Amino acid sequence: MPELTIAVAKGRLQDEALALLASAGAGVSSQDLSSRRLAVEDESGRYRFIFVKPADVPVYVEHGIADCGVVGRDILLESGTDLLQPLTLEIGRCRIVVAARTGVSLNELGMLRVATKYPRIAAAHFGTRGRPVEIIQLSGSVELAPGLGLADCIVDLVESGRTLRENGLKEIEVIDESTGRLVVNRASYQLKAKPIASLIGALSHKSDR
Amino acid sequence: MDHTTEPLSTIPTGMRYYFGQEARLRRTVEEIGMTVFDGWSYEEITTPTVDYYSLFEHGMGRAEAHRAFRFTDTDGRLLALRPDVTSAAARAAATLFAERERPLRLCYAAPVFRQQPQSHAEWRRESTQMGCELIGANTLVADLEVLLIASEFLRGLDLEGNYAITLNDVGIFNGVAERLNLDPTSRERMRQLIDVRNAADLERFLTPHTSAGEAQSFAQLVQLSGKRETLDLARNVISNEQSRAGLDRLEGLWKVIESLGLTECFEIDLGDVARLDYYTGLTFKIYVNGAGYRVGSGGRYDGLTASFGKAEPAVGFVVDLDLLTDVVRMRRADQSLTRTQQGTPPDPKTNDPDEEPSRDSARDPSELFLKALERRAQGGRVSLKLLR
Repeated sequence: MPELTIAVAKGRLQDEALALLASAGAGVSSQDLSSRRLAVEDESGRYRFIFVKPADVPVYVEHGIADCGVVGRDILLESGTDLLQPLTLEIGRCRIVVAARTGVSLNELGMLRVATKYPRIAAAHFGTRGRPVEIIQLSGSVELAPGLGLADCIVDLVESGRTLRENGLKEIEVIDESTGRLVVNRASYQLKAKPIASLIGALSHKSDR
Repeated sequence: MDHTTEPLSTIPTGMRYYFGQEARLRRTVEEIGMTVFDGWSYEEITTPTVDYYSLFEHGMGRAEAHRAFRFTDTDGRLLALRPDVTSAAARAAATLFAERERPLRLCYAAPVFRQQPQSHAEWRRESTQMGCELIGANTLVADLEVLLIASEFLRGLDLEGNYAITLNDVGIFNGVAERLNLDPTSRERMRQLIDVRNAADLERFLTPHTSAGEAQSFAQLVQLSGKRETLDLARNVISNEQSRAGLDRLEGLWKVIESLGLTECFEIDLGDVARLDYYTGLTFKIYVNGAGYRVGSGGRYDGLTASFGKAEPAVGFVVDLDLLTDVVRMRRADQSLTRTQQGTPPDPKTNDPDEEPSRDSARDPSELFLKALERRAQGGRVSLKLLR
């Protein structure tokens, strides 16, 4: 019986997260990695990993189905879940930005139409500035929206900025930075204090730079 | 969507049914709890389901009270479905029971209603709170009494070895914030970083305010949850008077917990800083294996009854009956939790309140509680005399 269940966000963060976990003594065998199983144990048998969509990581951890999770800060901000975040991991560094078509001034508009995968972050950002916005929630290819006239600007995650540029957009404002986070369920943190402390310890040595 | 064809079969989000075995089990859990409360001489109180909204604003603080379902009375005053029971119990203590002998011991089991779920895991908008309020005593013995009641309840549900009660004292955080001279915004920022146990960001946040060594040690401290050694580590880092007083209070509690052999079920958790505006001393949270969310919480709120015209110390806690029922059901303990197995009914002789009451400060608390727990184990009733 594994001591801890760790939810890992699939996609952008997954490879870096697994490499970091492996270097902290929680490695998954390459055979398991290449399989299509969504729940695997690490080689020591102490940890069970489940691979889920990024937005589902906070859900699994908040319900205590997974004790811990590795997920980007962008997802945490958007989900508004009540989780412990003991460690900032130096993986998946990127920015959450407002971007618009080159040459367009957003200040001239009485109301902004904002296309985004992050409706909550976008609403909070413009809300604190007192700007009325219409949030248009999309699930991907957000960069298309301004060019096609669906929105005046977008709020999205940017790593290098290349996708923005190639779609005729430029960064206007950085809302926040995002990196990977280790998140922990509040009850597990108390009831499984020892294995969690040792995982935090091992990971924090690895992410110290 | 056409709302006129909304099917009659649906019920509002966050509401649910209880029936059959689950309803029976829930009743059993409730009875086990109420029997424990009665065993410590707590008197049941039922407060109004509908009350003035201003009561809850005073009793819980604006941020929490905001989650109440609100509507207006025929005279235009704002009413609410009660989002907690403590507020009304505190009002009753300050008004209806103002002349009664202290300490006042009240307990309840009642549904409370809250909207805007804080999170995914806490989706229910109706839940049943069971709780105790001990009003008019601000001693260590009073704090211990409620902790031991909570603990006895969980043991009564066969959860021994599967629960943790985490202890903290708000004086510790407040003292540190005071010494760093933080404005309200920075203070809230620090509280949030501690609350999510983000040691690295906390250290960065503290660096401009204090020495690098101190920032690092303090940041490590809030990530730590442990036994007595946590207090010793804290003393090495924190030196202001207010925090020290908080640490002393925790240490006092811990000593008695040690001598009662109960350290297995308690933890010191200096990172628990959830509701600093509400609590004035001890705070605690109750976690049980099988529930991803805390099943209960409590602490000392000496400022509460003052809102209702009679300032006096108070300590209490609530547990969520529905969450506890879930845990017990999932542990398949339902068969073993029949009413007949709660021990033989107490002998009427031992059912009298403590016949030789003594002032708690005059007696060693460990000795006092050893005797009390022994008596409880035999099904006897306990009524500790407390100093104010």
